[in-house]
Amino acid sequence: MSGQHDELLELLDKSGAELFALLTRLTLRQDVAEELMQELFIKLSHSRGPNKVTNWDAYARKAAVNLAFDWRRSRRRAEPRLEQVREQNPNGESPLGRLIRSEELQETLNAIERLNKSARQVVVLRYIQQKSYDDIAGELGKSSHHVRALCSRAMSRLRDILGCNHRQISQKEM
Amino acid sequence: MSTIDENQIRDRLERLSKIEPDREATERAVKRVRDTLAVDEGRQRRVGLAPPSWIGGLKPTLHFVKLAAAAVVLIAAGVVAGRFSAQPLDAEALRAVLESSLKSSLEPAIRQAVLTEADSRWQSAFKASCDQLKDELARQVRYDLTQLTAQTLAAAGTQTDQRLKELIQLIEAARIQDRRRIEEALDHIESQFGNGLVALATRTNELQRLEQN
Repeated sequence: MSGQHDELLELLDKSGAELFALLTRLTLRQDVAEELMQELFIKLSHSRGPNKVTNWDAYARKAAVNLAFDWRRSRRRAEPRLEQVREQNPNGESPLGRLIRSEELQETLNAIERLNKSARQVVVLRYIQQKSYDDIAGELGKSSHHVRALCSRAMSRLRDILGCNHRQISQKEM
Repeated sequence: MSTIDENQIRDRLERLSKIEPDREATERAVKRVRDTLAVDEGRQRRVGLAPPSWIGGLKPTLHFVKLAAAAVVLIAAGVVAGRFSAQPLDAEALRAVLESSLKSSLEPAIRQAVLTEADSRWQSAFKASCDQLKDELARQVRYDLTQLTAQTLAAAGTQTDQRLKELIQLIEAARIQDRRRIEEALDHIESQFGNGLVALATRTNELQRLEQN
């Protein structure tokens, strides 16, 4: 038990900031990311299969992605609140422009939420966490070629989902 | 046919990847987790080594199985002792002995088991309802804020109307007063002018008379 505790502390020191950033990116709220971060480590400390986990870093990241999207699903009806997230390089943008950009981010995350689990993991790791194909392949235990194919399929599906949203909006406007 | 291309999606994803939380928030979150882990570790040390999770699920069942086994052994021992004893069977006494023995051995264990079960059920129910409560609270606060904003805006609108009305009345009163003053001034000028004309006429008559004389 103490060994697991030490491993978790080591994970927190090594990847705590990265996990928190990932949760913030996926929830777009720092306060929620804080809550989820705590929940994540409680879950990890209560997971009773420490021998099965060979890569705590990857395991924690996967759990964080699942937690964040579970939260998004549970809060689907709630209004988006982006004021607590500081997006870099606002370049003195107008409030309307900022609102539109924020809406776009929400829309994109909602579309990612609709992907299947493995596609979602791959998209988050590749495009949001900016990991290389080889790193992702190592983390997920798949070949690099397979990861590329998954990414490509996921992007195509995202295009379909977002394109469908845009068409619906255009029809409503007409 | 999509109306959004892959570059736009990549651009959005890149923007998401550039979102960085505050340094203070990150430090706060890490510290919070560290504190939680420390508390958790301390609690687990106090309780002792926790069993594996699959045993956790079976805990109440095993407890009752043990109790049942103990009861069966006890009853069997009683029966065997009764069979082998030379004395005639005193069913009433045996029943009383068994009853008191079972009561003394089973009662605290059953009480403990029921308490543990109730406690664990209560804790899981509380945990489940905690998230629900949080959502409920957030929804209520948002509703209250919306109501308050609507009321404040309505009150502000009414007050603005009232102030405008007062301003219009004041301007109207000032205009009436100005008109009255102008009227008085014109009356005064008119009377002065009339007097002047009368005086001029008198003087002219006097001058003519003097000239004739």
